Amino acid sequence: MPKNYIEAYNEAVFETDKQAALEVVNQALNDGLTPEDVVFHLIIPAVQAMMERIEKDPDSNLAQHFMTAQIAADVTERMLEKFSTPPEVIGRVVIGAAYGDLHSLGKRIVIGCLKSMMIDVIDLGINIGPEQFVDSAVEHEAQVIAISAMMVHTATGENGSQKVRVLLHERGLEGKIKLVVGGAPFRFDHELYAKVGADAWAPDGVTAAKVIAQLIQEVTA
Amino acid sequence: MTPLEILAAAANGTPAPRIPVFCNLLDQGPRELGMHAKDYFADGEAVANAQLRLLERYGHDNVWSLQYVGKEAELLGCKDILFADDGVPNVADFVIKNLDDIARLEVPADITSHPAWQSIADCLRVLRAEVGATHPICAYVTSSTTLPAILMGMEKWMELFLLGPADARDELLRKCSDFCRQHIAALREAGANVLVYSSPFGSPYFVSKKIIEKSVLPWMRRDLEPGGTADMVYYCGMAPFNEVIDLVFDELNIKTHYISPLADLAEAKRLINTRGLTCGVIDDIKMIHWSPEQTRAEVKRIIDIGKPGGHFLFGTGVMPLALPEANIRALVTAALEFGRLS
Repeated sequence: MPKNYIEAYNEAVFETDKQAALEVVNQALNDGLTPEDVVFHLIIPAVQAMMERIEKDPDSNLAQHFMTAQIAADVTERMLEKFSTPPEVIGRVVIGAAYGDLHSLGKRIVIGCLKSMMIDVIDLGINIGPEQFVDSAVEHEAQVIAISAMMVHTATGENGSQKVRVLLHERGLEGKIKLVVGGAPFRFDHELYAKVGADAWAPDGVTAAKVIAQLIQEVTA
Repeated sequence: MTPLEILAAAANGTPAPRIPVFCNLLDQGPRELGMHAKDYFADGEAVANAQLRLLERYGHDNVWSLQYVGKEAELLGCKDILFADDGVPNVADFVIKNLDDIARLEVPADITSHPAWQSIADCLRVLRAEVGATHPICAYVTSSTTLPAILMGMEKWMELFLLGPADARDELLRKCSDFCRQHIAALREAGANVLVYSSPFGSPYFVSKKIIEKSVLPWMRRDLEPGGTADMVYYCGMAPFNEVIDLVFDELNIKTHYISPLADLAEAKRLINTRGLTCGVIDDIKMIHWSPEQTRAEVKRIIDIGKPGGHFLFGTGVMPLALPEANIRALVTAALEFGRLS
C-alpha cells in the first residue's frame, strides 16, 4: 500500500472532508487493491496514524475524532461485504453509557474506530445499569467493559463504574474482564478513572479505541 | 460597593475593593431545601430561594436563574426530562427524531406564554425583587449552533452539522437562532443582567477554527444581533477557546470570556488584557477530591495569574453536588481574601 494513500486519506479526515476521504478509497480500489488491502493496509494504519497524531496534538478537535470513526466504520462495513473470507476478530468489548447518562456521541466514536480495527463491539446503548454491563460481558465473553459518562454524577455515582468494579470483584472476573472509562469529567481529573475503579481511561474516543485494543491484548496474552 | 458595582468596576478597570467572585451553586439547590430534583426544578420560587440561601451562606457575588439546560428543549416541545437526585437533569426525549421533524419544529411565537417558562419567570421575579439592585443575576442561553444537540442528541447533530444535508441543517439553525434571540430578549426583560452565552461549537475543541469562522460565527452573529452584547459572557461549555478570543472580540464584540480550566489562563489574560474581562475558572471536578487546603491553594494560584492588571473575575465551573461543603466554603473564602485589591 503506497504511503501516499494513507497520508491523503488522513489529511481528508483531519479536514473533516468525508467526500475526499472516500475518493482516496475509491482510487485505491480502482488501482487494483482488494477490499482486504483497503481495510488492513489503508484504514487500520490510517486509524492508527490518526491515533498517534491525536496523541501528539492536544488541539485536535471533536469533529476530527468523529470523522475518523465515522469514515473508517463506513468504509470497513462496505469492504467487509466484499471480503473473500470473514476476517479474524481480535477481541470483543461491551460498551454503553453509564446509568443515568443519555449521551452517545463519545461511544459512537469509540465504536467506529473499534469496528475498523476488527474488534467486535456489543453496544448496549445508553443509561445502562452495572449488572447489565457485567452480565453482557460474561454472556458475550468480552475482554473489556467500556463505560462512557459525560456528567460528573454518572461518572462518579454508585451505579456507574464503581458498582461494575464491585461486581467484577465479587464474581471473580477481574482477571478476565478489564474496565475502561471515558467522558468529559475524566478530562478534567486525570486520576478520576482510578477513583471510580476503572483499569484505564482515555481522553477522547479515538484514543479510547487504542486503549481498549491494548487491554484486550493484556487479557488474551 | 455592591457586587453589581464590583462587577462593573472589574469590567471597566475602575477601582474596587476586590475582584468579583462568581460561584455556580446550581446542583446544590434541591438538597438545600430538602426537595427532590423534579419538584424543586418545577418550582421557580424554590430555585430562587435556594440561590438566595446559598448566597447568604457563602457570600459570593452572583445568583442564577438557570434551572437546567434541558429547559430550552422543553420550551421547544421536549416532553421528558430525566431527573436525578445526585446530579443534573438530562433531556430524555429528543424533539427531533429524524430529519422530517426539523420541518415540523415550531418556535413558539412568544416563549414567555409557554407553560415551561413559568418557573423561569417565577425564579427571576423573586431574584429581581430580592437582589436585583445589588447582585448580578446570571442566566444561561444556548447558542443556535449548540441548541440542536439537546433537540436531537449530540451524535445526530454532529453528523448533520458536518455532513448535511445542508438545507435541513440550515433550516434547523435558523429556527434555533430565532429561538435564541427570543430567549435572550425574554431573559433580559425578566431581570437577568448577566447572560452566559453557551457556544461549545464556538470552541476549537469541538470544530476547527476554519469551520468556526465559516459555519458557526455567522449564526452566533445572528443570535446576538438584537440587543447587543454588553451583558454577554462567552462560554464554550468548559471547553478551551483561547484560539478564538480575538475573533470573539472582533466579530461578536463580547468582552467577557469564561476561560476553561483546561486552557492556559495566563495566555487568555494576555490576549484579553484590558479589552475586556477575563474569568479564571477553577477545575471543580478535581476539587471533589481535594482538601480545603488544596482548594485554597488552587484559588490563590488562579488569582495570582489573573489579578495583576485588573479586569479579572474568579469563577467556578459545574460545581458538582459531590463537592464537600468545606471545599465550597474554602473556595469562596479564599477567593474573597486573595481577590482583595485595596
